[in-house]
Amino acid sequence: MLSASLAFTRRLPGRAFAAACLGAAVLASASVAAQAEPRRPECIAPAQPGGGFDLTCRLTQAALQESGALKNPLRIVYMPGGVGAVAYNTIVAQRPAEGGSIVAFSGGSLLNLAQGKFGRYTVDDVRWLAAVGADYGVAVVRDDSPYQTLDDLMQALRQDPAKVVFGAGGTVGSQDWMKAALTAKAAGVDYKRMRFVAFEGGGEGITALRGNHIQAYMGDAAEAVTTLEGGAPIRILAVFHSERLPGRLADVPTAREQGYDIEWPIIRGFYLGPKVSDADYQWWVEAFEKTMGSEAFARLQAQQGLFPFSLTGPELDAYVKEQVRQYGELARSFGLVN
Amino acid sequence: MNNRILGIAALALAAMMIWQGHDLQAPFSYEPLGPRAFPLLIAAVMALCGLRLAIRGGGQAPANPPGANTRIAAMFGVIVGYALVFQWAGFIIATALMTLLVGRLFGGGWVGPAIGGVAGSVLLFVLFDRVLDVVLPVGLLGAWL
Amino acid sequence: MNGVLEHLSQGFGVAFTPLNLLVAAIGSFFGTIVGVLPGLGPINGVAMLIPVAFAMNLPPETALILLAAVYVGAEYGGRITSILINVPGEAASVMTTLDGYPLARQGLGSVALSLSAWASFFGSLVAFFGIVIFAPLLARWALAFGPAEYFVLMVFAFCCLTGLLGSEPVKGVLAAMIGLAISTVGVDANSGVYRFAFDSPNLSDGIDFVVVVIALFAISEMLQMLEHVVGGLSVKVPKSGRKLFNFAEFRFTLPSVVRSSLTGFGLGVLPGAGASVASAIAYANEKRITEQRDPDAKFGRGDMRGLTAPESANNASATGSFIPMLTLGVPGSGTTAVMMGALTLYNITPGPVLFDAQPQLVWGLIASLLVANVMLLIMNVPMVRVFASILSVPPWLLVPGIVCVSIIGVYSINATRFDLLLVAGIGLVGYFLRKAHMPMAPLILGVVLGNLMEQNLRRALAISDGDVVILFSSAVSVAFWVLSLGVILLPPLYRRWKKRSLLPEIAE
Repeated sequence: MLSASLAFTRRLPGRAFAAACLGAAVLASASVAAQAEPRRPECIAPAQPGGGFDLTCRLTQAALQESGALKNPLRIVYMPGGVGAVAYNTIVAQRPAEGGSIVAFSGGSLLNLAQGKFGRYTVDDVRWLAAVGADYGVAVVRDDSPYQTLDDLMQALRQDPAKVVFGAGGTVGSQDWMKAALTAKAAGVDYKRMRFVAFEGGGEGITALRGNHIQAYMGDAAEAVTTLEGGAPIRILAVFHSERLPGRLADVPTAREQGYDIEWPIIRGFYLGPKVSDADYQWWVEAFEKTMGSEAFARLQAQQGLFPFSLTGPELDAYVKEQVRQYGELARSFGLVN
Repeated sequence: MNNRILGIAALALAAMMIWQGHDLQAPFSYEPLGPRAFPLLIAAVMALCGLRLAIRGGGQAPANPPGANTRIAAMFGVIVGYALVFQWAGFIIATALMTLLVGRLFGGGWVGPAIGGVAGSVLLFVLFDRVLDVVLPVGLLGAWL
Repeated sequence: MNGVLEHLSQGFGVAFTPLNLLVAAIGSFFGTIVGVLPGLGPINGVAMLIPVAFAMNLPPETALILLAAVYVGAEYGGRITSILINVPGEAASVMTTLDGYPLARQGLGSVALSLSAWASFFGSLVAFFGIVIFAPLLARWALAFGPAEYFVLMVFAFCCLTGLLGSEPVKGVLAAMIGLAISTVGVDANSGVYRFAFDSPNLSDGIDFVVVVIALFAISEMLQMLEHVVGGLSVKVPKSGRKLFNFAEFRFTLPSVVRSSLTGFGLGVLPGAGASVASAIAYANEKRITEQRDPDAKFGRGDMRGLTAPESANNASATGSFIPMLTLGVPGSGTTAVMMGALTLYNITPGPVLFDAQPQLVWGLIASLLVANVMLLIMNVPMVRVFASILSVPPWLLVPGIVCVSIIGVYSINATRFDLLLVAGIGLVGYFLRKAHMPMAPLILGVVLGNLMEQNLRRALAISDGDVVILFSSAVSVAFWVLSLGVILLPPLYRRWKKRSLLPEIAE
């Protein structure tokens, strides 16, 4: 944190002045009532309206309001770019002390962070606040596919990697690609020799799967449930989680049950700027703890297709740092970073 | 502005794209084209167009009337300044100032643009920030809004 | 067919409840305003209203009707500023400026407004019947569109663009290349490599389309206005006494309205093509078809058919884009993507099952689309006077207003200073391009289509493992190749043929 603040004053005198003014305003309001809620609370969604981060913000907006933890409306600000890179840089460099601004992040953000795609900032540069849910990777095929189990798919892959075309909703090196690469790796196939098609977002990929342009789609459980409920003729071969998921996917075995050690959780949550006061940080932690304990929250979470995964404060901080370390190792092992 | 300048600018842009793009390479990739082919193709076509324009010349645009270039430069400066202080000064202050300056460039006096700037910025702030829920920066007025 | 009528009567039952009628009216009005404001398009309007609708605990069909009315309303509103001040109110009305603004300059601003309102209505009407007939059947057809077919579709779109190149084809091609170059900035959606991002996270996702459009069509326009105007006369349009188009004009434009409505609907149904592509293709087609038959056609200089074609097409496309969303759960446009987000808030999943599980929602929405369009037509004809009165606002108030609303539009989806500065910078470049007589439409299309074209080609080759045969292997792609060739080759051949056949007449 210290190094970040030094870099920031050295480089940007104008911004420093702006930040000082903002900081003073925040401090002034904080000192009036130590445990009062931050003024003008806002949720920064590092995506376009309608994206995954927007939904995370909306879930939180609704939940904080229903539980009464937040009196003022939580407003949503859009700051798309680099799975959160733009928001991360803006918060750390330009708005580090705004106690009212929580920023959404996802497992995908952490993966990019671990690959050094967030510029010169690291996982230590913000205050990790709360995780509000998680999603899990799944392997999807067409209903009439010759691969009826994960093992069928793996056998086919081993025999001839060129026969199975994987699709996923992200670029090489993204968390969607990781699921395909980990699957190939679990089959003992070189991830560079598998065949892979990158789509933009899940919808295109699922459509290509249904049109038989690709043979296996590596998606997320929430979107798979949505697609299934839409009546699409798809089959979910495996869930990349340590245990079976509740609800509609309860019958789908985990990859581990089928003898392949693939786990891929994608958490969703929030962080705060590096110079946000302890009082504000604590206020948010308590607000989230109060909210996430409620029944209404579980309902809203399920509506968004997220699975329960609640961590706040220091526990989340430790979890995120460990996750980023693991992602970094994974990326190195795949030759994505040096 | 004429075709020669345009052509040379296009050549420069194409050269920049080729220089920046020639070593674009994925660590590994699953398709034959890779990230480099498309930008280089664009740059090549762009260079051809630029070459054609630079050689052919002509297309001289009529010069701006006297004073216009200064006004345009001033307007550009105001917009850049508006973008720079938008978040720091906040929407209302930045917009009131911008309206005053741009209004003067477009032949308003001092009074009209000043009143229009203050009234308009408050009105738009209320409309967007309060009614339509488009969050706008409060900036220096943060303590009062 | 009986089933369709039964469903429709159920739908109108939902649409005609007082609450839903009220919501459709509010949405239409608000949507028109959002469409009028440059930089705010349907996507912003819809995104803005989602939290309001959700917070007000509106039932899902009512919320969806509100959002759909805003969407369609914005397609109506977008044309107003295009015609009056040459600033497209939203992306899909870029093409409307080409002939709409010259018409306004000729004193036909009010006529152009009413005529385009009618064209928009007709486009929506065609698409409405299209939805009623095709939506329940279409679930399978779209699956034929894989990456290879999409690539060929983009090729077709670019071939259509040759009709837009203007008098200097080199500049048109150069403009398209600049647009394509802009589309390559940022992370490569396939390999994850950052291209031309200069290590800036702000460029990591590329340059937002909104930024480019605002810069080129609002900021650079304002800069250019400063060349001549100090007193602000150039914004004023001499008013004609006539507000409504007459029967001759109706008949004159009817063929273009019908053709473009069908084109727009067809393109709207394709996921991802969207209203801006539809209006561009419809304009180019209309220009090509008409110029061959009518030597007096003056496209780009105030031809009414050049006004009605993109307006019919963008409304037909906007309405048509509900089909892939409702039947497949694949959004046909950015705006329907946001609306799908709203549906998931209500825990409703779009898809073929929706027609069975929630008929009141689907058919209520479809019926409300028609209701909203009738309201919009009624609103947009008498209120042409109100909208035209925007012109009497003095430029020293109007220009800062446009700059301010443009910046709000950018800020509302990209809350960073970088994007605001980028708008200013691209605006200045745009001013110089305008000075050099570069056509803007190919540039914008390059930005829109570039990524789709490149990525789908690379996806297709990844699927086929590098074999280019995949690009010619399906009936759909072969059909689009033939169409593309036709678009490029037919006009010169036709011209030659016409010249030959006309020669004897001239000789006589």
